[in-house]
Amino acid sequence: MANYHPYDELLMSFAAGQLPNSLGLMVSCHLEKCSSCRDTVKTYEALGGDILASAEQVDVSEDLLSKTLAKLEEPQSANDRFIGQHNSKEVIASKIPRPLRRFIPSDFDELDWSGMSKNIKEFTLKIDDEQYTTKLFRIKAGKVLPEHTHEGNEFTLVMEGSFSDRTCDYHAGDFILADTSTTHQPRAAMDGDCICLAVMDAPLKMTGMFGRMLNPFLR
Amino acid sequence: MNTLREEAPRVGFVINSKTENSTPPKGIKVSNKQPNELNILLLKIAQDQDRQAFVALFNATSSRLKAFAMQCGASNADAEELLQECMLTVWRKAHTFRPEAGSAITWMYTIVRNKRIDMARKNRHETVQSDDLWSEEGTEELETDISKELEGQVARNLLQALPEVQKQVVFKVYFEGKSHSEIANDLDLPLGTIKSRLRLAMKKLDTIVKEQTSWLIIILMMNF
Repeated sequence: MANYHPYDELLMSFAAGQLPNSLGLMVSCHLEKCSSCRDTVKTYEALGGDILASAEQVDVSEDLLSKTLAKLEEPQSANDRFIGQHNSKEVIASKIPRPLRRFIPSDFDELDWSGMSKNIKEFTLKIDDEQYTTKLFRIKAGKVLPEHTHEGNEFTLVMEGSFSDRTCDYHAGDFILADTSTTHQPRAAMDGDCICLAVMDAPLKMTGMFGRMLNPFLR
Repeated sequence: MNTLREEAPRVGFVINSKTENSTPPKGIKVSNKQPNELNILLLKIAQDQDRQAFVALFNATSSRLKAFAMQCGASNADAEELLQECMLTVWRKAHTFRPEAGSAITWMYTIVRNKRIDMARKNRHETVQSDDLWSEEGTEELETDISKELEGQVARNLLQALPEVQKQVVFKVYFEGKSHSEIANDLDLPLGTIKSRLRLAMKKLDTIVKEQTSWLIIILMMNF
């Protein structure tokens, strides 16, 4: 059960189907683990239903009904067949959250992680998004990241393991937003690597002494 | 309070079975007439592949679905294509509609929302599709919580509860997907005003949902 949640504005945009791709996926991963946010999304979907019900009526072409009826018995489109494959049993056994399975085909361990240092590795997900970059970060158990702040917003979702930051502990499913006013130094828990999904609109900017040295490798 | 806890599952079950033939549970005002008719039509399509029910559902909802698509920015032709895609999906997926989980119009809303996403992104590689974001039927366990079972039965119009100025901002979110600052620009209002209107709207919705849940429990306790 997650303790840190996306703010309601994000959940509303999600229910409206209007989030950018990477943020939408991240919210969807959080919802898998959070029934209270699922309930909130349901409320916003009901609001969507009300908006649809109150839509002004416009004329529909007269032949559209007969054209639609003619198509009722046609086999499903290629797109729907694709959905069937994607939900195959094999994939469901995976540890990867369902929304990310098309983008992370195998296990976390199988990914081609690239290292900026021994303690932190990253993997960039190929998600079509004009606004955001989506990465997985893997912090080694017990290791601490250099203190850093952010040039823009960075949304983080803990996927596996946990990390702590000053006073807070974050566990799988927790959703964290860092912005330019956040300076932090996350440390992975001792009992295992921490894997986070990060969606960011600008590269990290290191503030500490060590951070400045490390910074160029982060880009 | 103990009584409630013991009674609850049984009460939930009774109401759930009544949903099948669309009889409203005693003492609770159910959704107004039209959405209830939509429920019946959907169930007929699901159970009997009833084409007449499909025609009736098409006639009852097509012009709103099209209007919704156009408010999201679709051209006339695209809106009709989206409408047709939605109705074909309704035909194929009617069996996944659960009257106890929400109203028919909300279910149709999720279809038009998802189809709009998929139409806009079709033929693009490495993109996100609606089925990445929302799981297909059956993957989500149906919760047995009493308040959830009742949700589909309750008469509520969330939209009506919002003042016009809040509705205006909410429409911008649903139809245009604009950021708060873009909305502020469009409406020529300070960013803070947009943020607080949206916040107030969300607070209001939350209050309504919570109040209704408590009332339903009270009504149920009085009835049994």
